[in-house]
Amino acid sequence: MTNLDHGKFTRMTTVFHSLLAMDVFFLFFTGYAIMFNDELWWMLTLMGGSGSVAALHRVFGVGLLALVTFWVLMMVTTDTGRSNFRELMPTPEDAKAFVQDIQFVLGNAEERHPNARQFAGGTADEIPLLSYVGKGVIFIFAAELTMLSVSGLLIWSKAGLMQYFATQTAAMAFVVFHGLLGVVMIMGVMFHIFEHGFHPAFFPVETKAFIPRSMIPEDHEDDTEGTGIEQLELSPAWASATNLAGAATVIGIVSVMVASIYDTGFPVSTELIIGGGPSNLLLTVGVNMGVLVLFLGMVLSVYGNLVRIRWEQRMQEEADAESVDVETAD
Amino acid sequence: MSNPTAESGASSYSGTVVAVNAVISVVVALGLVWVVNGFNVFYERLDRVSPTVEGGAIGSAFVKGNEMELLVFMVEAIHVIDVIAGLGILLIMFIHWGAFRRIAGRMRQPGDSRAVTDGGEAADEGGETQ
Repeated sequence: MTNLDHGKFTRMTTVFHSLLAMDVFFLFFTGYAIMFNDELWWMLTLMGGSGSVAALHRVFGVGLLALVTFWVLMMVTTDTGRSNFRELMPTPEDAKAFVQDIQFVLGNAEERHPNARQFAGGTADEIPLLSYVGKGVIFIFAAELTMLSVSGLLIWSKAGLMQYFATQTAAMAFVVFHGLLGVVMIMGVMFHIFEHGFHPAFFPVETKAFIPRSMIPEDHEDDTEGTGIEQLELSPAWASATNLAGAATVIGIVSVMVASIYDTGFPVSTELIIGGGPSNLLLTVGVNMGVLVLFLGMVLSVYGNLVRIRWEQRMQEEADAESVDVETAD
Repeated sequence: MSNPTAESGASSYSGTVVAVNAVISVVVALGLVWVVNGFNVFYERLDRVSPTVEGGAIGSAFVKGNEMELLVFMVEAIHVIDVIAGLGILLIMFIHWGAFRRIAGRMRQPGDSRAVTDGGEAADEGGETQ
């Protein structure tokens, strides 16, 4: 029983996940340095000012367009993609899993529903490919990334958009819409980082997102009842790290949500408004804390890949040792 | 590695398909950017100052854009969606935080070196066990 747990994803999926994560993190850093420039002025300056940040945002935008197109093609043109797509469909069990999760937290249920369980352990046969949260993440992120790509392309050339609507403020409406659309995604990603970085069995990162299932050994102990999580030792750092990260994530989500209400740009004001940012210290601290959570997510994504590289090396060493043994035996 | 893995018997993606789709994706992405870059106008034709509102001066266009019902609705709708989504995400966040705390309580605590019996020791609350 290890916290490596059962493998779920192919190498294509794990590599895609890492590339998408990196691209989206940089899109967040550049995009929200512009949208929340009152609170994140230092990021704007650090990345070379508004012109440079807008150029970088476009570069990562091209990356996102390629990644989204690639994923759609993989889902449509391959048997594996099409069969996995069926497993993404929500079922009544997912609704039950959500209700049971609330009951579990309140102490009214002894277990999490298999459709909610992140650590499969000895119960891998009961666990679907994706939990109810996983399905939600894929649906919401897929819809968000598609709409962000389309709206991003629309505002690529603002002069064209202005000409089409015969007004400059219409272009601003699309820019604001694009930024507000990403707010759902930025809050969702903050939660995603907490969910997969701070599960006590996987802390500090759920490696099945980085190590492909082809590299994860499956040893079944038939005498183990349930997941067997009670055999795992909790990391000494888990409690304090989770409290800190949990608080930062909640503050980050709330602050970004509040900032999205105030830091808007449409309808375009006819007067100069000084708002948010240094004039509102709490919001500035909160939004920066949200960015810190995203940065933590980026670090954990890199760490997940570092663990994968170490694991690959170890597997290679074991394979080499085995081949030497066989040759010696011959 | 002699251990069977989760991939044994499971289908996977062909390297050729991955490579072909990757090339198509890059071409499509660059193509889209090329198309939207052409979606432009010579700057001198844009917002030519006309002294009267009837003539479509800059100020009138400014007001017109602010009052486009579709755009105002679009931005207000996404504001509402952001708040609803934020509250939903916070709910699911607290559920997970609470669940993680309960699961952690069922694991062996740090520094707890008690030997585990064959098949595992029954924990006080049973972990995520059945």
